[in-house]
Amino acid sequence: MKKKKKPEGPTSGVDLGAVEQVLEFMTQHGIEEFDYSNGEFHIRLKKPSAHTAFLPRQLGLPEILVPNSSTAPAAGSAVDTATPQEEDEAAGRGEDVHIVKSPIVGTFYEAPSPGAEAFVKVGDRVESGQVLCIIEAMKLMNEIESDAAGEIIRVYVENGQPVEYGESLFALRTTRRK
Amino acid sequence: MFRKILIANRGEIALRVICACKELGIQTVAVYSEADRNSLHVRYADEAICIGPARSADSYLNIPHVISAAEIANVDAIHPGYGFLSENANFAEVCDASQIAFIGPSAESIRLMGEKDRARREMAAVGLPIVPGTPGVIEDEQAAEIAAAEIGYPLMIKASAGGGGRGMRVARAAGELLPLFRTARSEAQQAFGTPDVYLEKFIERPRHIEFQVLGDRFGSVIHLGERECSIQRRHQKLIEESPSTAVSPELREQMGARVVAALQKIGYTNAGTVEFIMDESGQLHFIEMNTRIQVEHPVTEWITGVDLIKAQILLAAGEKLEDVVKDLRFEGHSIECRINAEDPDSFIPSAGRITAFHIPGGTGVRVDTAAYSDAVIPPYYDSLIAKLVVHGKDRAEAISRMRRALEMFIIEGIKTSIPLHRRILADPEFVAGNLDTHFVERMTPVLARPGG
Repeated sequence: MKKKKKPEGPTSGVDLGAVEQVLEFMTQHGIEEFDYSNGEFHIRLKKPSAHTAFLPRQLGLPEILVPNSSTAPAAGSAVDTATPQEEDEAAGRGEDVHIVKSPIVGTFYEAPSPGAEAFVKVGDRVESGQVLCIIEAMKLMNEIESDAAGEIIRVYVENGQPVEYGESLFALRTTRRK
Repeated sequence: MFRKILIANRGEIALRVICACKELGIQTVAVYSEADRNSLHVRYADEAICIGPARSADSYLNIPHVISAAEIANVDAIHPGYGFLSENANFAEVCDASQIAFIGPSAESIRLMGEKDRARREMAAVGLPIVPGTPGVIEDEQAAEIAAAEIGYPLMIKASAGGGGRGMRVARAAGELLPLFRTARSEAQQAFGTPDVYLEKFIERPRHIEFQVLGDRFGSVIHLGERECSIQRRHQKLIEESPSTAVSPELREQMGARVVAALQKIGYTNAGTVEFIMDESGQLHFIEMNTRIQVEHPVTEWITGVDLIKAQILLAAGEKLEDVVKDLRFEGHSIECRINAEDPDSFIPSAGRITAFHIPGGTGVRVDTAAYSDAVIPPYYDSLIAKLVVHGKDRAEAISRMRRALEMFIIEGIKTSIPLHRRILADPEFVAGNLDTHFVERMTPVLARPGG
């Protein structure tokens, strides 16, 4: 997905010529991501080809056979630490926390088109059936609808991130009325 | 050469492809259903992507999900394994359209061989012998009677869209023809969506003999010998071996040459298996072709020394056959037993947790499996849990080695077909090489009842 340069927006103080030079530098040196901060100014450039590797899970080995965490091979999801989803579910005790999961495999986009405003953000109240995001699969844009009503308390994925089936996308607080 | 391959499959064959990729220095991407989260193929791949819930139709057979996974993981090629999407011409075309190499033959070859009666006609046209039968679909009862008079009895009425033993009826005398013809047509309509049937000579004691082939993109095709797969139950193979006791070196050379010529004429590429039926007089007749790698490929690998999965990958990447397979030779004898998770007497599938798993080792023994101790065999997929393959300098050694290996293979917690395999390997008719596809039925007459 190409990120188009915005004609308007917060470009004051940004030298676009310098940005272009950085992009060229990145291409020349095969750099996928470039992050720069200087006081108030912060810029992050990410090439579309940079994607998250889907690291395979550990098998559920009995505890005595699992080496101590510092020597465990880098295999992505840790077996023993809580995932953000689990933290949310634990913190949500007393209220209902519903996780909206991806029903398909593809690339997650938070907005209807590049540069547009995101469909939802943390704090928004959403209805069941409301479009939360787009997941692109095989060049088709699929609108993903919420399967519950509530307030968005967390977004687990980043714009442009590849997602697998069942991947957690949003956490909703659905307070039950008695 | 491919940089990264996605394996669109599961279980032992997914692991098998991962092994070949690791040895070739190719990155691997596994796809899995929620039921396979703790599978070995997921564990050993470099990346793994969940593509759906347990049901195959929603995961392993879900083309958009598989292709989408291939795109987000940025792979160069997809290996489809066997079963699932491996013989789905549409899938091969979607891969082409998505600019992902499909490790297998062309969509046209897949489509051609997928239509069984068209495949017979076209293979006959390029020089392979076929079972005496009608060249195409029999439209009406009059045509059926005329054809039957020519073919003779007993004959078989087969559904065009059938396969794997489904949609077949045997008529042993003229009086049975028309009633069975009508029944077969309505059954075919129900099961396959088309009433099309054709007629074929029926062979009472057939032997299943198949030739392994490889083809490159430059028009070269070779065969790697035959396998005998007559030990079957309800058209599912249980034991395979190479070479066949019924195939002389002359027959191998002669039929091998005809197979190669036929496949060159149709421009076949990558791996495939040409299946024949051998009649009581030792004549081979082409029945169908499988346009994919087969379960029993290790048997051929052992007697030729050729890694067929690596060959598939290299050929798909554009290598020449003469570079991929050099100095082909046939040595010794190899036998494979398909160890299934099922009751050895009733054949009822046995899913569940494996509590003890000890693989036999030693000289000349190979086990291809994705099972392990404490693994849960899910009920959603086929019941194959391991392939036990042996090699010996001759058939006698291979048999004694297989008996020894079966004895030392421990699988507890679920039922397996190991006891049945041991009975077969001990049978004097098996040792004598007197095989045909009704062998298992004769061994287990009470249990071979349909629905048993």
